[in-house]
Amino acid sequence: MLLLDLLKQDGKKAIRSQAFYKNLAVNIMLGFFGLYMAASLLITGLALGPMLEKVPGPYNPTELVNASMLYVILFALIARFTMQSLSTLDLQSLQALPIRRDTLVNYLLIKPLFNPVNYLTLLLAIPFAIRSTAVYYDGATAFRFVLGAIFIIWFDSLTAAFLKRAFGSNIFSLIILLAIAGGLIALEYFKLFSLGEVSEAIFTTALQHPLGWLVPLAAVGFAYLLNRWFFARNYYIESFNKKKEEIRLTQLSFLDRFGIIGDLIGLEIKLILRHKRTKSILYLSFFFLFYGLLFYRDPKMATNYGMLFFAATFVTGLLMLMFGQWVISWDGSYFDSLMTKNIPVQSYIEANYYLLASFCTACFILTTPYFFFGSRILYLHLAALLFNLGVNIFFLVFFATYNTKRIDLSKSSAMNYQGTTIKNFLIMLPMLFFPWIVVQLLATFFNPAVALGTVGSIGLLGILFHRQLIQLCVNQFNRRKYALAQGFRESE
Amino acid sequence: MVQAIDLTKEYNGVTVLNLPDLRIGAGESFGLVGNNGAGKTTFFRLILDLIAATTGEVLINGQKVARNDNWKQITGSFLDEGFLIDFLTPEEYFNFVAKLHHITESDLNAFLASIEDIFNGEILGNKKLIREFSKGNQKKIGIAAALIGDPQLLILDEPFTALDPSSQIRLKRFLEELQKRTNMTMLISSHDLNHVTDVCKRIVILEKGKIVNDLQTNTDTLKELESYFAVS
Repeated sequence: MLLLDLLKQDGKKAIRSQAFYKNLAVNIMLGFFGLYMAASLLITGLALGPMLEKVPGPYNPTELVNASMLYVILFALIARFTMQSLSTLDLQSLQALPIRRDTLVNYLLIKPLFNPVNYLTLLLAIPFAIRSTAVYYDGATAFRFVLGAIFIIWFDSLTAAFLKRAFGSNIFSLIILLAIAGGLIALEYFKLFSLGEVSEAIFTTALQHPLGWLVPLAAVGFAYLLNRWFFARNYYIESFNKKKEEIRLTQLSFLDRFGIIGDLIGLEIKLILRHKRTKSILYLSFFFLFYGLLFYRDPKMATNYGMLFFAATFVTGLLMLMFGQWVISWDGSYFDSLMTKNIPVQSYIEANYYLLASFCTACFILTTPYFFFGSRILYLHLAALLFNLGVNIFFLVFFATYNTKRIDLSKSSAMNYQGTTIKNFLIMLPMLFFPWIVVQLLATFFNPAVALGTVGSIGLLGILFHRQLIQLCVNQFNRRKYALAQGFRESE
Repeated sequence: MVQAIDLTKEYNGVTVLNLPDLRIGAGESFGLVGNNGAGKTTFFRLILDLIAATTGEVLINGQKVARNDNWKQITGSFLDEGFLIDFLTPEEYFNFVAKLHHITESDLNAFLASIEDIFNGEILGNKKLIREFSKGNQKKIGIAAALIGDPQLLILDEPFTALDPSSQIRLKRFLEELQKRTNMTMLISSHDLNHVTDVCKRIVILEKGKIVNDLQTNTDTLKELESYFAVS
């Protein structure tokens, strides 16, 4: 079958790709990360049944899971909407061959379903089905539960692809999706309308009926037809492979008054706004802002200041960490231009410093709602902000000069690790863990105030001596300039 | 204007450029010809301090280029797409470069009007990002950006390739006229012997990194070049 051939070709492409081997270290790291995720899911799956036993109320664990099912579907959809990349065709090589359009469309739709990452959630569903559903019902029901889970994965994948194709992955579509989710949660919370009850009714009924699995399957069929309908409407194959880029010309005239540094910062902001990859990092960062909730609300963390400071450094330095790890290499495609136009090296480094500093400040402001958890958080965030501004930024800019891999911003979006090397991870580690250890030790042997005062003061020193530190980075940059230019000129 | 002293560049032990003493005077129009791998682009990158010399140095106006920002004020250059910022529109890019040279908007517009003949109406006002333009038009954008700020030294690598025939002739005329008017020092490499002899008064032939001939252009130059490159 032709469709299978196309899928096989795709596998070959992945295995034979140069970048795969070149970047082996990163792939191994990502592999470990994947294993870690898989293990976490498996353990959660094993523990989920017993945990849900303890929930008061008339529902058994399976019914509870069913009650949350619509929410799970919705949130998985949002996650996919932000992270899942659309599959595209290598059109030029296929267009000339006698392949029916239908086959190509099917290929585009079905290909993502073969990605094993999709099925990671089964590691949670299967142990739960065996340990809990099979006990309350029977083996056949447990089997139907797992089958349903697979169908839900397909449904989410197809629907997310449709939404992305039809509405584009812009921030407004995301806001609408988030608003819907937020609205439903509010309705549930104020007991006006319970999606949970609806969800429980649908899925438990479907689960108990021998042919109940037809319900999620019908949903998959519906999502598939939606996609087909979209392709039928947008007939020309070009129009779904390459969307015409619409540029909104950003006016950043407020930056004019800062001279060359302002112009360079304006340039970087345009870079972020006009590339998919950087934009999706931006959206993703927004979600990570909520990372603090995991720590600040947890009573077990209340005295664990090292951990709390780690979280504070992370949320207040989020954009700095996300973008800062590529701070020079994202200029790779026009590095020669920056080096030969009338831009003093000093201004270039300063521009990068001030850009990252404004990222830090922005994150600090965005995370002010955390202060509701107590004045403690205010001190934590202030100390973290100072540490980020005074130490971590220089660390990033200094070591960024070792990252000579050019980043191809034009390609793909989230979960794109092109241009990521083991160095990126190595740089991040001391930035996050060094202050963690310092704060932990000082808080244990003295008190939290001393700990935060110390890291805050270190940061303040860095800010006071920023001229000298920038000079240090300039010298480092000058030393590494040729290696950088050379590296950026080589494409993968 | 430009001086190369004992300049060599080696890659993996192979010398790709060796210029014991090359001086290019102010106001000179200097053409560099040679087959692929002769070291033309390497020489230009060394002048622009994009690669480190193995030995020797390049001076612009008597100052070393390495670790120095001064030459950037008076030098305009375009070697390849790496000199473009491809996610900007041409207008944004020109504005960016103009600001770097503290050129007012009206002066920039006057300059763009003067080069409109080469743009042929295809570059400005299209609301397109540079990455969406064809190779030829990208080259025009790069050359125009190199000229912003009235550089005293202009360095262009293969400015004629990828341009359509009419644009080639227009660009040639433009450069000739500009050089006469501003007495700009111009370094051009080209595979097109015709154009380069038209534009440049001095032509240097490079072969495997060494200068094999250094000519002042006259009526016989083109023939001389053609016989040098003729395949026997």
